[in-house]
Amino acid sequence: MLAIWIGAIDQGLAYAGLALGVYLTLRVLNFADITVDGSFALGGGSAALLLSENVAPPLALLVAVALGALAGTATGLIHTRLGVNDLFAGILTTTGLYSITLRLMGRSNIPLTDLQLALDRLPDLGWGSDGRWLLALLLVVAGLVGLLALGLATDLGLALRAIGNNAVMARSNGISTRRGLTLGIAAGNGLVALAGALVAMYQGFADVTMGIGSLILGLGAVIVGESVLRPRTVPQALVAVVLGSVLFRAMIALALQLGMEPVDLKLATALLLLLALGLGRLRIPGVSEPGGGR
Amino acid sequence: MSLEIQDLAWGHPQPGGGWRQLFNGFNLSCPTGQFVVVIGSNGSGKSTLLNLVAGTLRAGAGSVRLEGRELVRLPEHRRARSIGRVMQNPLDGTAPGLTIAENLRLAEGRRRSLFSPQALLGLHPSRADRRRYAELLETLGLPLADRLDTPVGQLSGGQRQTISLVMASLGEPRLLLLDEHTAALDPRAEATVMELTDRLVARLGTTALMVTHSLEQALRHGDRLLMLQEGRLIGDWSAAERHQFSPASLRELYGNATVQTDPPSIG
Repeated sequence: MLAIWIGAIDQGLAYAGLALGVYLTLRVLNFADITVDGSFALGGGSAALLLSENVAPPLALLVAVALGALAGTATGLIHTRLGVNDLFAGILTTTGLYSITLRLMGRSNIPLTDLQLALDRLPDLGWGSDGRWLLALLLVVAGLVGLLALGLATDLGLALRAIGNNAVMARSNGISTRRGLTLGIAAGNGLVALAGALVAMYQGFADVTMGIGSLILGLGAVIVGESVLRPRTVPQALVAVVLGSVLFRAMIALALQLGMEPVDLKLATALLLLLALGLGRLRIPGVSEPGGGR
Repeated sequence: MSLEIQDLAWGHPQPGGGWRQLFNGFNLSCPTGQFVVVIGSNGSGKSTLLNLVAGTLRAGAGSVRLEGRELVRLPEHRRARSIGRVMQNPLDGTAPGLTIAENLRLAEGRRRSLFSPQALLGLHPSRADRRRYAELLETLGLPLADRLDTPVGQLSGGQRQTISLVMASLGEPRLLLLDEHTAALDPRAEATVMELTDRLVARLGTTALMVTHSLEQALRHGDRLLMLQEGRLIGDWSAAERHQFSPASLRELYGNATVQTDPPSIG
């Protein structure tokens, strides 16, 4: 029984990069970015390919982050240079990324059954491999949260937050909203691709379709985290988003425990998000507006 | 000259077809430190002029030089490094989700590129930043020094506009553009903001262009008064010459300028 919950926490932490990436694009930049569906699979697929070729895991993770950032850059440039709407720019990139990921992987699924991650160097918490994963993922996620909190407290981070808050004000204070948006979307998708790589390593395979519904999962984590912690500062918000990712996974584990069929999970996720939208807890630029739009 | 506008041209398509050429060979020179007040009826081109200088709108032709530097080909954010700006709507000039200290820090760093080493190093607003901002707000007599951590979105319209004005004055601007910045305020907030405007312009010694619909403001503030009609200067008075007007006579002149013939239309 405990193993199920430890496994849920592990998964929540592995998906935390996705939630942090969605937080960065949606909450910080006010940009509804669908690219995450494609960059999650790109990160997972590229990392799995490299790991299956015996490339060192840290290097495989770095390559995944770089490819995710490249995908985000593409969306950013399509939006800022060509003036394409944010949702449509993300859809365009994600559509293209499906073929790119499939080309990279060479097949639709890469198993990682013989993966050696040297996790046994970590102390044993008495929960076996799941416990060691818990430690490893906690370290990675704590590092990410720390880096993001520091990054968003620099002048550059402040500028990104200003762009999401009021782009007119940002421009009139010397900030290039084009470059800022592109950089932020790239960073967000780098985080998402890292999550894709970690999830592929944790579950022992990567699939070209593993990114479908990622945006919804990330949004779910952001909503749940913000609802529980009601953050007032950026570091609090980052912790809330990670907590939301873990709680979201725990809710899914609970639903499965209560007998929900795995095939119904996506529907349950969508309904949960719809409920949050309906209650007015979340405003997604271009998707939901205050007062219900029209 | 601090601000030199030469042969400025700008037009826009009209909803019913055709083209409206609002500015055609517009010229204006302002010496350093001059506080210029611009009046004119709706559609006369006052805000458009400010937008053309700030780079929100791109001029069709002509030159806009600030202290000898050509601005016309620079994007808005690059021009903003030497131009402080306060907009009509208090919601436009600040980032509501950021605190007062964070907004001030952004304005103070306006001359910095997004990717400069200074922008990437150091956590801001630092204690030293906050001390400086608290002192600045106290010096200016604004009762906001103890609210540096308050998100600007929680302030009243007048308070937001005072923060916006203080922001425009930070980062060593060479030019201040004030676009009907008291239009959305109640009389008390308007008086506070205008009093602060006078003090900041004097303190900075920078050139300022202020657009207003208030003839009382036009007669009371600034060193020079301009009247625009259909993108043309129809009045240009120094502070001394301005004294010939009473509010009523200026209103009459303003009213006559408002009664327009059909706008010049091409196409």
